[in-house]
Amino acid sequence: MKKIIKNIIELLPRKRAMTAAVPFSVLFSKFQDILTINNNVLEMIAEVNDKLGGNYIFDRHYIETTCQRISDQVLKLIHDLNTIAPNKYMALHDTYRRIVAEIEKDLAGRPYCHFGPFTVAYNAINRNSSESVGGKNASIAEIHNFLALRIPDGFAVTGAAFHAFLAKNNLQENIDGILGAWRDEKVSLEDATKKIRKLILNSKLPNKLEKELTRSLGQLSGSDKHKPVLFAVRSSAWGEDGERSFAGQYKTILNVPAAELANAYRQVVASAYSETALMYRQKIGFHEDEVTMAVACQVMVAAVASGVLYTLDPQHGHGGAMQLSATWGLGAPVVSGQVSGDRFTIDRTSPHHVKEMQLVRKKSALNPIAGGGTALNPVAIDRQTQACLNNDQIKQIAATGLLIEKYFKKPQDIEFAIDRQGQVIVLQSRPLNIDQTDAPKAPELAKLLRQYPVLFRDQGEIAQAGVATGQVYMFSEDSKLRDVPAGAILVTRFASPLLAKVMAKVSAILTDIGSPTGHLATIAREFRVPCIVNTGNATELLHPGQEITVDAEANIVYQGLVNELCLYELSEEAIEETSEYRLLRRVLKNIAPLNLLDPAEKSFTPVACRTLHDITRFVHEKAVEELIDRNYYQQHDPKTTSGKLRLNIPLDLVLIDIDGGLRSGSRKGEVMPEAILSVPMLALLKGLSHPLAWDNEPMSVDMRSFMSSLTRTFSTELASPKYVGQNLAVISKEYANVSLRLGYHFTMIDSYVTDNINDNYAYFRFFGGVTDETRRCRRAEFLGRVLARHDFRVELHDDLVVARIKKMDKEGMLQRLQVLGWLVGFTRQLDVKMLSEQHINLYIDKFNKLMEVNI
Amino acid sequence: MSAQQKTSILILDDEPIVSKRLKPSLEKQGYEVETFTVSAEALKRTNERSFDIVITDLKMEGLDGMEFLTAVKEKSPATEIIVITGFATMETAKESFQKGVFDFLAKPFKIGEISAVISKAEQKIRQTL
Repeated sequence: MKKIIKNIIELLPRKRAMTAAVPFSVLFSKFQDILTINNNVLEMIAEVNDKLGGNYIFDRHYIETTCQRISDQVLKLIHDLNTIAPNKYMALHDTYRRIVAEIEKDLAGRPYCHFGPFTVAYNAINRNSSESVGGKNASIAEIHNFLALRIPDGFAVTGAAFHAFLAKNNLQENIDGILGAWRDEKVSLEDATKKIRKLILNSKLPNKLEKELTRSLGQLSGSDKHKPVLFAVRSSAWGEDGERSFAGQYKTILNVPAAELANAYRQVVASAYSETALMYRQKIGFHEDEVTMAVACQVMVAAVASGVLYTLDPQHGHGGAMQLSATWGLGAPVVSGQVSGDRFTIDRTSPHHVKEMQLVRKKSALNPIAGGGTALNPVAIDRQTQACLNNDQIKQIAATGLLIEKYFKKPQDIEFAIDRQGQVIVLQSRPLNIDQTDAPKAPELAKLLRQYPVLFRDQGEIAQAGVATGQVYMFSEDSKLRDVPAGAILVTRFASPLLAKVMAKVSAILTDIGSPTGHLATIAREFRVPCIVNTGNATELLHPGQEITVDAEANIVYQGLVNELCLYELSEEAIEETSEYRLLRRVLKNIAPLNLLDPAEKSFTPVACRTLHDITRFVHEKAVEELIDRNYYQQHDPKTTSGKLRLNIPLDLVLIDIDGGLRSGSRKGEVMPEAILSVPMLALLKGLSHPLAWDNEPMSVDMRSFMSSLTRTFSTELASPKYVGQNLAVISKEYANVSLRLGYHFTMIDSYVTDNINDNYAYFRFFGGVTDETRRCRRAEFLGRVLARHDFRVELHDDLVVARIKKMDKEGMLQRLQVLGWLVGFTRQLDVKMLSEQHINLYIDKFNKLMEVNI
Repeated sequence: MSAQQKTSILILDDEPIVSKRLKPSLEKQGYEVETFTVSAEALKRTNERSFDIVITDLKMEGLDGMEFLTAVKEKSPATEIIVITGFATMETAKESFQKGVFDFLAKPFKIGEISAVISKAEQKIRQTL
C-alpha cells in the first residue's frame, strides 16, 4: 500500500498531456482504457463485497493486495482522464490521495478513537462506530437501529472526547507518572487510584464537549423543557465488551440530572482507573495507553421491574436453557449480586416455557428519586413474594434475547427493564463468555453429527455462513410476510429481496434459486442470518414444520435440531469478530459506497468524491462528456465525422465515426439513420428505434417512488440538452461502443461484429437507478433473466448487471444486439414499476412477447 | 492407516486466521488437525510424525513453503500436499506440481472448495492403501 503514494509522486511530473491536435483514435483508445478499468474496478468491488459473507477464508495479505489493486486502477483512471482532458481534473489527485491515506491508516491499524465528533446520537450509530463510541454504545444502538427493539433514547460521548479531555488537562502525563510510581512500588495501588481519581474529578471538560453535550441534550426525542430528563451514565470503554470482558470493572451512575452530567462523566472516566480495573488490566496485559473510555448517556427508564438475562446456560440441558434474574424497580442490586432476585430457567426454543422458577422475598427495591439519585425503598408486603415478571414478559424477554444473540452470533448477557406500559426495554447487551469446557469439542461433534440424518449437502451456495436450528416455514408467492414465525427457517423458491423485511426474525434462509452475489445475500449478510441460496430443490426436499439444522459453514442440512452444533458455533469466535473481517469491512468504507449520483448537480465534483467508487463514477461520466465536447461541440479530428443522431426517440445520441461507420458526405453536426453503415450500431438502433421499445404504457401511480425521484431532482427531462445529451456512440464499420446515461442508470455496450465468428463479441453493462435498492435489484434481475434467455453469460451483483456473449455468427450477434437495443428503451424507468417480485415475471413475459412478434 | 483411524492433517500458514478458521471446520468433519504458523516448527513436527495431508502456504519468513513441502515429500512420499497461496502464478503452480503436490489453491478460497480438495486427496490415499 505504501507503494501507492510513491507511485503518485513518481507520476506527478506528468508527461505533457495530449493537446487538441492529438488524433481522435488516440483519445478513443484512452477512452476505451477508461471503460475497461471502470469495469474492472466495479467487478473488483463486487468481488470484495462477496468476501464479507463469511464463506471465504481470506487473510491480511488479501486485504492489502486488493486495496492496492483497486487503488492502482483508480489512479490509472485519473491519469487517463487527465490525458483526454489535459490537466482539467487535477483536483482528483488530491481527493485520491486523501482517500488512499484513509485506507492506509486503516491498514496500519489506527486507533480510531482519537478522531471524530465528541457526542453521537444513538440513531446515528452503526456497527462501524464501535471504535469511536465503544462496544456498549455500538451494540445497544445496533439493537435498536437494526433489530428495531426498544432501547432508551440516548447518546454516546466518544473516545475522541475522552482523549480531548485528557489532553486539555494534561492528564495522560500525570496518570502515567502515578502509574509508573505504582509499578515501581513507590505508591500503593490504593493511593495511586485515589490520586488519579482526584485529578480527573477536578479536571475541566473541553469547551467543545460542553457544547456538544448541550446540543445532544436538546436533540433527544420528546425532550420537554418543563420535564427534567434524568440519565443513566454508563461506561462504554474500547475493548470492554470485546474479546476481553471488562464486565463490572467500571462505574454506572443512575438517575443523573442533566445539570450533573459533566460530573457523572468525570466519575465514569475515573472508574477506568479503579483498583480492580488497574489490577485486571495488569493481569491480562492490556496497555494503559490503550485505555479509551467512551461513555453512554441513556434516558432513565421508569422501571417497574428490571433484571439480567443470560441467553445461554450451558450447565442446563445441553445448552437448551436461558437464565433470567429480576427484581422490582431498578436492576442494579441484582446485576451487582447485592441481592438475589427471582430466578427463572427458560426453554431456549419458542414458546419459551419456564422450566424452573425460584421466587425470593423481595423486601426492598431500588428506585429513582425525583431530583436525581436512587434510594432503596421497602416493597409492599403483598408484592414481596409475588413474581416480578409475568409469563408474557418472560417470553418477550426470552425472544428478545435470542434475537440479539442471533444477530451478534454470541450468547448474550442482557440488562433490561420493564417500563410502566409493561414493555421490555433493552438497557445493554454484551457477549457472554461461556466456559469453553462446557461447549462440545469439534472432534466430539464430528462423531455426534454422524448420528443425524443429512437431508442434503453441498447443494447451493453459501451467501452467509452460520448455523441455525428451527422449523421449516415454506414461503411462497401467496404467503404473507407477517405470518412468518420468529425463529423459523424460511424456505423459498426465489431469493426475493422482499424477504429483507423478515430478516431480523428468521433463523436461516434456504432458497431454490438465487445468487450469492444477489441482493438477498447482501441483506442476509447485513443481518448475519445464515443463508444458502440456489439449492435447486430445497422446497421439494423439506416440508413445512419440519425440524432441521442448517449448517451454513459446511453447507449441510440435517434432520432434527442439533443443539450441540449451535452451542459449538456460539462458543467459537464469530468470523465477523475476527480482526481480518473487521479490517476488510473498514477499508471498504473508503472504497465501495457510491455517493455521487447526479451529474447535473453542482456537487458532482472531484472534491465531493468520498470513495474510490465515487472517483470511478466521476471519471467515467467526465470521459464521455469530454469526448463529446471535444469532438462534437468543438473542432475535431478531420479523420472523424461526428453528429447528433436524428431519430424520434427520447434519447440524444452523438455518433463519432472513426472508420467507415458513416456514409461519406454526411451533413456536419447531424446524422440521419440512413447514413449509418456500422453493422453493430445498425442492429442496436433497429431495437432502440422501435416505437414499442419505449413502452409507453402509463406509469403506475406510486407516490412514494415518484416523490423520491423528485427529491433526488430527477431531471433528465428538465435539464438543458447539454446535460441530457451525454450519450455517446463511437463507431466504425464493424464496431460500436455506446455509453448511455438514462436518468440515474448507466448502460455501456461494446460490440464487434464481422463475418469471422471468432472475432465477434458483445459486452453489456448496466448499473444504477433512481428508486430504492430493492426495485433497482428487481430491474437487474429482470435484465439478467432476459439476457440469459438470449444466451448471454450474465453476472449480477446487486444492481450491477454484466453480460457477455462471444463467438457467435454474425446473424446471431445482430439479433442479440437488437435485443440490447430494445432493452435500453424498455428498461428506462422500469425500476419505478417494479412494485413487487411478481412484476419481474410480468415484465419478462411482456418483453418475451414483444420479442416473439418483432424479432 | 486403518479405516477407523482419522485422516491427519497439518496446516502451515504464517497468517493465524487461516488455521483459526480451517481447524474447527475440518475437525467438525472428523479430521485430526494440527496447525502451525512458523515453518521451522511445522518441519520439526513432521520429523516427529507423518501426516496424511499437509496444507501449506508458500510465501513465509524463514523456510518457505516450497522448501518445506520438498522436505516433507522426501521424508514421507505418501503424504499428499495441498498448496494455498495468495501469490498464485503459473510458475509457482507449475513448480508445485513438479514437486508432486496434490493440488494448488489460490487464496482467498471458500471453505467448501478446500474441503472438496481434501476429500479427493483422502480418497487417493485410501485407494493406494
